[in-house]
Amino acid sequence: MPSKVVDALKDSFKDNVTVLSDNGVEDVIVLSDKKLLKEAAKLIKKIHDIVFLITVVDRNPTFEIGYVFSNYVDKSILNLRVNIMQDDLSIDSITSVFPSADWEEREAYDMFGIKFNGHPSLKRILLPEDWPGHPLRKDFKVTDDVRNWTGLDLKF
Amino acid sequence: MLSYAYAVLSRWLPYPLNLIGALIALLVASLAIVAVIPIIIGWVDRKYGARIQSRWGPTYVGPFGLLQNVADLIKLLGKRVITTNVDILSYTFVPIALTAAAFLMILIIPWGGPNLSIVNIPYNLLFIYVAMAVSPLLILLAGWSENNKYAIIGGFRGATQIATYELALIVTILSVTILSGSYNINDIVAGQSSVWYVVYLPLAFILFITAGYAVVERDPFDIPEATQELLAGWKVEYSGLRYGLFLLSDYVKIFMLSMLVVYLFLGGWNGPLLPAFVWFWIKTIVTMMILLTPRWVYPRVRIDQLVKFGWNWMLPLAIINLLAVGMVVFV
Amino acid sequence: MEKQKGVILNIGPVHPATHGVLKLIADLEGDTIDNIKVEIGFLHRGKEKMAEMRYFSNYYPIVDKLDYVSALQMEILFASVVEKAAGIEIPPRAVYIRTIMAEIQRIMSHLVFVGSFGMDVGNYTGFIWAFREREELMTVVEAISGGRLAPMYICNGGTFYDLPENFSYMLSPVLDRIEKKVKNEYATLFQKNNVFIMRSKSVGIIDKQLVKQLGITGPNMRAAGIERDIRRIDPYLAYEEMEFEVPTEEDGDAYSRFLIRIREIIESIKIIRQAMKKLPAGSYKKPVPWLLKIPAKYTLVRHEVSKGEMAMHMVTDGGMMPYRLKIRSPTFFSLKALEKVLVGSRIADIVAVIASIDPVMGEVDR
Repeated sequence: MPSKVVDALKDSFKDNVTVLSDNGVEDVIVLSDKKLLKEAAKLIKKIHDIVFLITVVDRNPTFEIGYVFSNYVDKSILNLRVNIMQDDLSIDSITSVFPSADWEEREAYDMFGIKFNGHPSLKRILLPEDWPGHPLRKDFKVTDDVRNWTGLDLKF
Repeated sequence: MLSYAYAVLSRWLPYPLNLIGALIALLVASLAIVAVIPIIIGWVDRKYGARIQSRWGPTYVGPFGLLQNVADLIKLLGKRVITTNVDILSYTFVPIALTAAAFLMILIIPWGGPNLSIVNIPYNLLFIYVAMAVSPLLILLAGWSENNKYAIIGGFRGATQIATYELALIVTILSVTILSGSYNINDIVAGQSSVWYVVYLPLAFILFITAGYAVVERDPFDIPEATQELLAGWKVEYSGLRYGLFLLSDYVKIFMLSMLVVYLFLGGWNGPLLPAFVWFWIKTIVTMMILLTPRWVYPRVRIDQLVKFGWNWMLPLAIINLLAVGMVVFV
Repeated sequence: MEKQKGVILNIGPVHPATHGVLKLIADLEGDTIDNIKVEIGFLHRGKEKMAEMRYFSNYYPIVDKLDYVSALQMEILFASVVEKAAGIEIPPRAVYIRTIMAEIQRIMSHLVFVGSFGMDVGNYTGFIWAFREREELMTVVEAISGGRLAPMYICNGGTFYDLPENFSYMLSPVLDRIEKKVKNEYATLFQKNNVFIMRSKSVGIIDKQLVKQLGITGPNMRAAGIERDIRRIDPYLAYEEMEFEVPTEEDGDAYSRFLIRIREIIESIKIIRQAMKKLPAGSYKKPVPWLLKIPAKYTLVRHEVSKGEMAMHMVTDGGMMPYRLKIRSPTFFSLKALEKVLVGSRIADIVAVIASIDPVMGEVDR
């Protein structure tokens, strides 16, 4: 069944889709154009029910956003990867297609500062609202701002 | 007891002094009872609950941990009261008033024998009921005075719950008084010398226990406190001595409830062979143990379920019961 | 919380019923909830960042505190990720030991659930009873591993120690007792208790549709009637050779979520018994260097832990530490359901539904 999705993706997006199978156990589908993500998500939705996880890998200056889709029928999963550049850290939100991506996208925003366009409430989720910086980035430094952060300025 | 002390003291003392002396003796007696009840019942409650839960309960303070509640009380006395923005007048008034109500009940209830009460008044059952019934107002006042959302929710819940169930309670009590023709506990017990009222009024018995449970806020019905939802409900801002007074009045109430069950339905101090006093205490202790059990067995019901049950079942049943008793007695 | 109508009530982060530091902001109208928001992150300790600064062998103590009521399963999950990435085959005895430990931990975790659910609907006795049984398993785990809550038993390539010789004499009576207690005493206290049923039946219904919408997994999903278990469909450890049922319930309310856990305890006991019978002899550990170097690759491992499908996605770059470790927490997805199912219910239901989802904030906030 997963191959069906891969075929469908290949049919729709032609050159924009490449399938990598050498760098892990599962195949990874790489989407070269981030604008196509929502279309791809709609295709994937036909087979897969949920976003299993969203992981962001900071390979400065590229940020790899890895989506893992899963379903409730069998064990199949689908790895989708989109690369975005540091100077334009934004991507379409797939919350409208996969509601389960809501908090995962917020977490990615929280930790890496990636803007998800069209997300209903893109706020920090794990860290406080006024936390300086995005800590999971490789260039995150413990500055005085972080050291002196008390959380007392936060308005409830 | 008051008249007895008055008579005894009159032998040696002139007029104003003998009355004052009698009043002091009475105060000491009631204080002793008030102090002893929470200690004993608290110990029984904790130990009994602990054994149900396969724990040991208190063991260290005193023999078998008997003095654990004394230690707790002393700890509560030493606590600082930390409050912000409370309405200090009503905040202080509520525990005092609740304790006063508890005192009142202790003063007028008979202690296991005809006329063996600290103050003898003809309508003691009615007075005890009134002392119990005063609590919804006080709970609402406490919840309001604490300036805390949890407290006011607890206060409203308490007022709703107790107002609902007190109606059922008084209607049930009425059926007993119709049967005995008196508001005096002594007469009610005397009326049961041959047959206990539980035989005549099994429905009223069950209704009384259930409604009484809800009125004294014992654990399946401790919705106004609801530790897991509302922290401590209307008690949330209380600490120190004021909180200790609440504990005290709680224990007095559950004790009063078991005594009332014995007086109204289980024949009071009537019984063969053994002296009346012993019979009464055996019955009371057994009743109290049974009343203490549901706390450890049942989860807390929800307020809407409880209120619905109260209006849909308790009150109609109580009224039907009352009508039936009235028909049988008067027709 | 756009338009405030009634009273805003902050429930948590410091509240006895929020299982740690979950925070709910409820908009109340009387006793009824108009709107509710979930806030998490009060226990965030930056575990994913910590992983990037530690050798593969040194991350175990931290992974222990992810889901601190099922720490062994967390250790096993992380060990599986590292071993899959490094291509380490662990000896069969280690596989079986890990299976046994994972199931012991699942029972312990579910007992905590049973206890805290009982407590949150107001039955203190259930709490004490469940912890009484858990304590016996704790003793076994302590005898095996030396630790209780955070055992530090699993390491790369197997386990730190072999099982003690009298292991089955220690564990079997405990399992028998737990089975007896769960089937008799708990049934009396919970399943046959009218008030308990009144409080938990048709409360907080998470139906199939909502499950699929939010990505809920694990017992919460099975309570809605979806039969799915990673142990069954994608067997890891020794689950392929075990016979067990995947219990499902239909209603999806708090009561079914409770029943699922009760039934899973029984299934776990079955699995442990089988694993103890089949426990192969041999080495319990494959010697693996303390400092591993793992080539650049992406590794994803899913396990069915006590809370649901937990996964770790590890990116390595050829160094001695992970380049990026993403932890997929099952409860992170389940908690969002609170915002949907609690609207229109009562305050008292909040605690019942929170407890029925079984959140452990250490794992949600990471």
